[in-house]
Amino acid sequence: MGFEKFGKHGYVSHAKVAPIVDYLKKGELAGTKCLECDSLYFPPKADCPKCRSTKFDWVPLNENCKLITFTEVFFAPPEFQKETPYLLGLAELEEGPRVFAPIDSRITRDYLKPGALLALHPSTNENGAFYQLEKREQNYLRKR
Amino acid sequence: MGRVGIIGVGHSRFGKRSDASLRELAFEAYREALDDAEIDTSDIDASLVCSATHYDKQRSPAGVVAEYLGLNPAPTFNVEAACASSAVGLRTAWALVNSRLHDIVAIVGVQKMTELSSDEIQELMGRAGDVMWESPFGTTMPAYYAMYANAHMARYGTTQEQMALVPVKNRKYGTKNPKAMFQKPVEIEEVLKSRMVSYPLKLYDCCANADGAACILVASRNKVQKLSDRPVWIAGLGLASSPMSLAGRTGPMTSFQVTKNAAKEAYKMARVLPRDVDIAEVHDSFSITEILNYEDLGFARPGTGAKLLEREETDLGGRIPVNIDGGLIAKGHPVGATGAGQITALVKQLRGEAGDLQVDNAKVGLAQNIGGIGMYAAVTILRG
Repeated sequence: MGFEKFGKHGYVSHAKVAPIVDYLKKGELAGTKCLECDSLYFPPKADCPKCRSTKFDWVPLNENCKLITFTEVFFAPPEFQKETPYLLGLAELEEGPRVFAPIDSRITRDYLKPGALLALHPSTNENGAFYQLEKREQNYLRKR
Repeated sequence: MGRVGIIGVGHSRFGKRSDASLRELAFEAYREALDDAEIDTSDIDASLVCSATHYDKQRSPAGVVAEYLGLNPAPTFNVEAACASSAVGLRTAWALVNSRLHDIVAIVGVQKMTELSSDEIQELMGRAGDVMWESPFGTTMPAYYAMYANAHMARYGTTQEQMALVPVKNRKYGTKNPKAMFQKPVEIEEVLKSRMVSYPLKLYDCCANADGAACILVASRNKVQKLSDRPVWIAGLGLASSPMSLAGRTGPMTSFQVTKNAAKEAYKMARVLPRDVDIAEVHDSFSITEILNYEDLGFARPGTGAKLLEREETDLGGRIPVNIDGGLIAKGHPVGATGAGQITALVKQLRGEAGDLQVDNAKVGLAQNIGGIGMYAAVTILRG
């Protein structure tokens, strides 16, 4: 239980990796690391398809990433219609894994070129917790 | 001569078929295929009912479809691979016949989509992607393909005007296909001015949900030689998978690796090269998809797919006519029927029965069918 609190509108309740919601609520970005072969997973995985180990630890992640591609959604599923239009992006974290995430609504489309420097930042809403892609400067200011 | 051939094809009218149920649509295509092959239901050893079953009101539709077509007690089962269901059905049937388990197998691709309320359809649409890590952010089918479009535009300079050439071409041919959902052509300006769905894809860049059915009858070499005076052989089959999550995929997102892998397998099995293909049916779920498909199938170099449209090389009379039955964009996309519909169009071409749309001397036909958001792709090569 608990995974339905992940994202802006969750569809799945049960998952071994549900603790990601707690990390995000604390403002922390966490992935999983396989204790057998050290493979890093983000989004997290409870199981390692490379060595078949089921032993893992939660590890903090560097939030810096760069954009691969994006879109702006105008025609949305029912739960998201009140937010249209909204931006979705695919980015690559400095540590390697790729992430699919919403893009901060303060960012405009002209900024979103492949390679644009972004940061993946934890956030919360009435559903629970999620992460989103933000400009690095905004993130920097928030931390100060 | 191949080991497994196609002895009959049938195709219902695609579109908003408020006049017909799922099983009745299946019957339209099945009846036409049996008439085409000049065989009876008693000749069929097994049936594969191909649909993305979450769209159907009927659960496990093979049950009612086989009953309605009179196919009991022969084996029947569902084949599901989202939009590629009936291409995967054809591959499955090939294996069943090539293994000599069965001699004649019916592949019935069928889908009834327009009966769902728009809330139901939109709720399903929201779960098209990885339901744990991507759907919770408001994904849609067009959104995923739009992300490929933006990557292609940024890397190669592909424009929305170039993408608009896909619906302009395919809708033009739809006007000549009485079974297509859309019978009117569109102009570039109309495409560009149509409502934005997911940037940069607009309404006319997208195929439409539809109802419809298509049926393929395949048979062993012996049966084909006995029954058919103009056989079409299954020369090459390719099927591959990609991670369903977008984040699980690698590369700059300007091509579908899944299509490249399926194409490689199919070309190798058929012993042909992309330049040998006389006519193709590719999965134009969206305008950008057709452009990527040209590149991924080897019809154009990476980044140059749109040039084929500008030079009319994929029009009738061009170097390699593509989707000249209207494609998904003009015919509509009754998910489970789409792959079998592509094969039906190719079989007519390879037999020289395509009328005004006939490609001169067509010998090698290729169909490419993508499943869902690109987690499956099938490439099928036929020889006349």
